[in-house]
Amino acid sequence: MEFPAVRALDGVTIAFEAGEVHGIVGENGAGKSTLMKILSGVQHATSGTILLDGEPVSLHGVRGALQHGIAMIHQELNLVDELNVAENVFLGREISKGGMLDRAKMVELTTDILRQVHAPFAANVKVGQLSIAGKQLVEIAKAVAIDASILIMDEPTAVLSEPEAASLFELISRLKERGTTILYISHRLTEVCAICDRITVLRDGSWVTTVDANGANPSELARLMVGRPIRDFYPAKVAAPDGKPILELDQFCGASFSVRPGEILGLAGLVGAGRTELAEAIIGIRPTESGTIRLNGLPVKLRSPKKAMTHGVVYVSEDRKGLGLHLSLGVIQNVTLANLRAYGRIVLNHQKERESAESWKKDLDIRAGDLEGPAINVSGGNQQKIAIAKWLETKPKVIILDEPTRGVDVGAKREMYNLIQKLAGDGMACIVISSELPEILGLCHRAIIMREGKVVGQLAGEELSEEAVMHLAAGVAAA
Amino acid sequence: MKRANVLREYGALFALVLLFVINVVTRKANFLQIENLRNLVSQDAAVGIIAIGMTFVIIAGGIDLSVGSMAAMCGAVVILLMNKLAGSGLSPNNAILLAAIGAMGIGALAGLFNGFVVAYGRVAAFVVTLGGLAGFRSIALVLGSGGEIRSQVSRLEDFGFGGIPIPFAKNASGGPVQFYWSAIIFIVVAILAGFVLNKTRFGRYIIAVGANQRAAEYSAINTQTVRLAVYTVLGGLVGLASVVAVARMNSVGTGSAGLYYELDAIAAVVIGGTSLRGGKGRIWGTVVGVLLLTLISNMITAYHIDTNWQGLVRGIVILVAVLIQRGGKENE
Repeated sequence: MEFPAVRALDGVTIAFEAGEVHGIVGENGAGKSTLMKILSGVQHATSGTILLDGEPVSLHGVRGALQHGIAMIHQELNLVDELNVAENVFLGREISKGGMLDRAKMVELTTDILRQVHAPFAANVKVGQLSIAGKQLVEIAKAVAIDASILIMDEPTAVLSEPEAASLFELISRLKERGTTILYISHRLTEVCAICDRITVLRDGSWVTTVDANGANPSELARLMVGRPIRDFYPAKVAAPDGKPILELDQFCGASFSVRPGEILGLAGLVGAGRTELAEAIIGIRPTESGTIRLNGLPVKLRSPKKAMTHGVVYVSEDRKGLGLHLSLGVIQNVTLANLRAYGRIVLNHQKERESAESWKKDLDIRAGDLEGPAINVSGGNQQKIAIAKWLETKPKVIILDEPTRGVDVGAKREMYNLIQKLAGDGMACIVISSELPEILGLCHRAIIMREGKVVGQLAGEELSEEAVMHLAAGVAAA
Repeated sequence: MKRANVLREYGALFALVLLFVINVVTRKANFLQIENLRNLVSQDAAVGIIAIGMTFVIIAGGIDLSVGSMAAMCGAVVILLMNKLAGSGLSPNNAILLAAIGAMGIGALAGLFNGFVVAYGRVAAFVVTLGGLAGFRSIALVLGSGGEIRSQVSRLEDFGFGGIPIPFAKNASGGPVQFYWSAIIFIVVAILAGFVLNKTRFGRYIIAVGANQRAAEYSAINTQTVRLAVYTVLGGLVGLASVVAVARMNSVGTGSAGLYYELDAIAAVVIGGTSLRGGKGRIWGTVVGVLLLTLISNMITAYHIDTNWQGLVRGIVILVAVLIQRGGKENE
């Protein structure tokens, strides 16, 4: 048997066998995405080679990778909503007859592929009308259409409900029978153990081990990923002080819960469960008329982020690069932006701005060489600290952190947890939105679980377990 | 700084200096005549004042195509208002002053309208101000019955050709050489604008809104107010520019006044290194852009080149400026 093999990331060698389902696990920043980008032709390896069927290949761009039969299904799906399924499947490889698009032929071929992947929709449906699971099937159909021999799936179940995930697993095993090699990236260790043949663990850009999935168990994998027992990864919990809630939601956008000063409240759920939307409604970015918000017991209307800020409620966006920061502006300008009034009603005091940025740099250990330089030059974890500093500047009472550790490396993650705990210790109410269950469990005093735009449960103390959260988030009754 | 970045940052300035040197070498005393140098600064002062306001709008991520027509409309208002005020017994100076304030008010109002539709009506700035381009011209034509409106206040011309005498400078007949008010206004507006952009909270908000409007919104900035404000400021400056232009002509041709001002102003801004995508720009660059364009048209006349080539030359300068900026970007 031939072994398509990869050398990447600090001289790491991984061999993927033809027709296997190979799980790749690791914390954010462990090098999974770099590896996948290299394999799918998005990025070039600085050293090392990719061997496909024993032959060295160089993959130039996504197109080059596709020509070698390597297809990638991204977390954020790359489909054109305005086109129908067949048009998406043949996007860039349209079949034409006499200079005209041969729509009939494309629909016919697509219909055949859709049957193979058991898709419950027709080839002429607009992709925009499909659910996320449906769109994922279209992506898989695209890969089948080009007869991909290697299919890379990045967190495919992060956006799926449990039954949808089950049918995806079934499809994966059918693809495997056809001889397709599947590289399966996931944070959900239980499912990785269940569906993969072998599992590779990456940590800090290096290969840790490749194990047989048969006999591997999730907690062992988690330990390998982190390099130390999970418990140590989070700072020891400090009990939240008792007291009156500072922020209360009463049937606000279908959510009723409250948070006390000094409390770290987790907001758990699958991607697309409506957590970000709820946070944006709270700070007034998304106008809503339903329900009430009370601050210190008094009803308030927070109609804009500015209004929310003056009431002490701030939101650190999950989309750090798009919404959380101004990447082209300097670090200093980012830090002072939300609180600019404090630096001058009309004329700004640049010296004072710089001093403030310097002091945040020290307090939060922001590693940025040049504070005048644009924020784009700073690493992900440090960008996140800058985004948080921007809001701490305004001395908030309630801070909503949306996926605060997304895309930051392991060390920075730990710092982030320490920071959040320190903020809570200082009496701030922290609401942490996270899709990473260990984060919710390790960091939060209490968790609110959302599904399909609604709050479906609340867990605290002993009840707060991975299984319980997952059951609520995925909409399956607890066993 | 890498060479490509230096070129991108200071390319327009280099070009201006280079052309200046070429002129000095080939035209010598003719070029260095004090009147000629003065004219370089004052000739396009009206466009310059508008270009400064346009810099704000473009940095904030917008565009305004209506400024030329708006200038014609404001110019018509200046003269009509001034004639009326002078006719009702007001002293010429006061009549001019009040009319100028009126024109700036009308300009600011027109800009406010543009800004309001862009910021609150969520219509693309290009479309809104394209409407203004047609609409304001039409108002100007109605005010002037389709033709020229002449000033009945001769004092206006004194303002147009008056100024501060340049020390030690003597003209051919031995009289003082005036540094025109138009140039002085242009310079003062530029200095103030540079201050606003770089030193004030409003300036920072303009940059933040242009760099990433949604991120600015998430940063608790009232982005609609900021956008409304930049169009209004531009409108007010268009009103001021119209006074400067009208004073030179002592009349306004409602069909021809301000024609292509929008193109010249946008060109100067872009040549000066302000990004059309917003979020990044500088006032001094726009001033250099205005001077560069003026110098080029000055040269075309001086070297007896068919003036019909002027448009092509300007077009090439704009393209080169944009290409240099983009090239620098890729080398970052």
